[in-house]
Amino acid sequence: MNMITARHLQKEFKTPVIREGRFSGLRTLFSRETVSKEAVRDISFDIGPGEFVGYIGPNGAGKSTTIKMLTGILHPTSGEVRLDGMNPHQDRRRTVGRLGVVFGQRSQLWWDLPVKDSYDILAEMYGVRTEDKKKRLSQFAELLDLESFWATPVRKLSLGQRMRADLAASMLHDPELLFLDEPTIGLDVNAKRNIRQFLRTLNEEFGKTILLTTHDMDDIEQLCSRVMVINHGQLTYDGSIPSLRDTIGLPTLIRVTYRGSYLMPDTIPTAIQITGVEGQIVTVEVNRKEWSTMDILKQLEQWGEIEDVEMKEPDFEDIIHRVY
Amino acid sequence: MKRTSWFHLYKMLIRTSIRSRMQYKFNFIMASVLAALIQISEFLMVALVLHRFGAIKGWSLHEIGYLFAIMTLSKTLYRTFGNEVHHLEKYLVNGELDQLLTRPMPVLLALLPQNFRIMAGEVLQGGFILCWSLAGMMYSGQIGWIAIPFSLLIILTGAVILFSIGLATATLGFWTTRIEELQTITEDAARTAAQYPLTLYPKWMSGILLTVIPVGFVNYIPSLYLLRGEGGAWVLVAVAAVAVLSLAASLRFWQFGLTKYQSTGS
Repeated sequence: MNMITARHLQKEFKTPVIREGRFSGLRTLFSRETVSKEAVRDISFDIGPGEFVGYIGPNGAGKSTTIKMLTGILHPTSGEVRLDGMNPHQDRRRTVGRLGVVFGQRSQLWWDLPVKDSYDILAEMYGVRTEDKKKRLSQFAELLDLESFWATPVRKLSLGQRMRADLAASMLHDPELLFLDEPTIGLDVNAKRNIRQFLRTLNEEFGKTILLTTHDMDDIEQLCSRVMVINHGQLTYDGSIPSLRDTIGLPTLIRVTYRGSYLMPDTIPTAIQITGVEGQIVTVEVNRKEWSTMDILKQLEQWGEIEDVEMKEPDFEDIIHRVY
Repeated sequence: MKRTSWFHLYKMLIRTSIRSRMQYKFNFIMASVLAALIQISEFLMVALVLHRFGAIKGWSLHEIGYLFAIMTLSKTLYRTFGNEVHHLEKYLVNGELDQLLTRPMPVLLALLPQNFRIMAGEVLQGGFILCWSLAGMMYSGQIGWIAIPFSLLIILTGAVILFSIGLATATLGFWTTRIEELQTITEDAARTAAQYPLTLYPKWMSGILLTVIPVGFVNYIPSLYLLRGEGGAWVLVAVAAVAVLSLAASLRFWQFGLTKYQSTGS
């Protein structure tokens, strides 16, 4: 049984052309001119229980639109969603009662009330028994260090504290499925680490299924077992991170320092590209899909006696840059 | 899993709303005082108009006071419990409706208790004029005691009608996002017009106020029967039917509108 099934999801936004001048609102209302924009085009995927999936793409690619369709906030123009067998558009109340949803950009807590009050309200709303609430909160308090700001009104929390409080809130009713839209946005390194640790625990120890959008490639690399890339409303990649590296075949950078003199042959294998020569140091780019590292080193050794080798793998940022 | 009743949740959210509001005590007190002042000045305006012109088109001072009071009290009841419907634009523009949609309860039930307030100024003002009008008409023998419970009923059906108009107008926001100008017409202007007898207006206008925007059923139509004995008791049944139908229609429209919600870019 899949936790998330999306079939041919499509979302077209129609916005009326905004009129200028007096009574612009009214005139807009009665005008028939609209501009339509296809935000999401024919997206299908399945996510199984216990998966931790990263959903990435440049701004405006359709990430948030997809998440909002999955969580029942937006209705797709066409296509279907099933979450643990339930339809969030026809049966919204029941479905969202079994989801955890966190939007990094806005809080679901009560702005003017102490953090703990929000948990009391949410517990009532989701029908969480008092003893369950206590048990889970003490667990989260430990994992997320909530106690230091337990009685502080939400509006006075730092961004990092607020995110932690929001995460705990989304898990209060113990959903199996968690949607996170940019949960680490704007956080410092420490706060990010804290939150990643919590998410890892949820996924690995409690077996929660998590779908996460982010612009922080470290989030993806450290947490996700699978990554989906969306661009211009379409899925352009869906698979593991290593195979994403392979698909793109970014070159590995090798810097060789020769002892004494060296001689470059006239014909260099096409897999090797010389990008820099500085005295004793030669820098080459190698496509690792075609050549193994050992083969390349053997080749380089024929040019002269090697004193030192330095290799640099393409980092994830570069990979993503290529996919976009 | 324990089941909490909607009513219980609603009460809890109202309490939450009041507690949130109390965080800003000075603002809370200022807003209440200002609202009362506005109400008093509005009342003085009406009193002045009535005093100068007395009867309008065969409607006595007490009758017009009654129309005005019923409208004020119905609006107060609507705005006490349904104020956020009137302010839906804010939720559409900044996408705040997202959060309400992720809660496992009807969206309206989550929306309405937000920013709950008690409109003491309006209740006092409307209540005062209502008592004065009723007392005057009872003294002259125009109406009997039975008018009192009927008036309360009319206030309730009126609030339902005003809420339905407000909800239907707000729902248009799912297509247009901006709704304030439209609200000025369907809510404020229509309501103000219906504070006076509809016979004052040209046919097409009173027609609109009895069909498209049925504010006439809030105070004018029930008054025809209650104060002037036109028609029969069926008038009140018809008014209640209009209230129920408007509510049902606007709720359906709202449900449909929700599927057109566009949210905002992340």
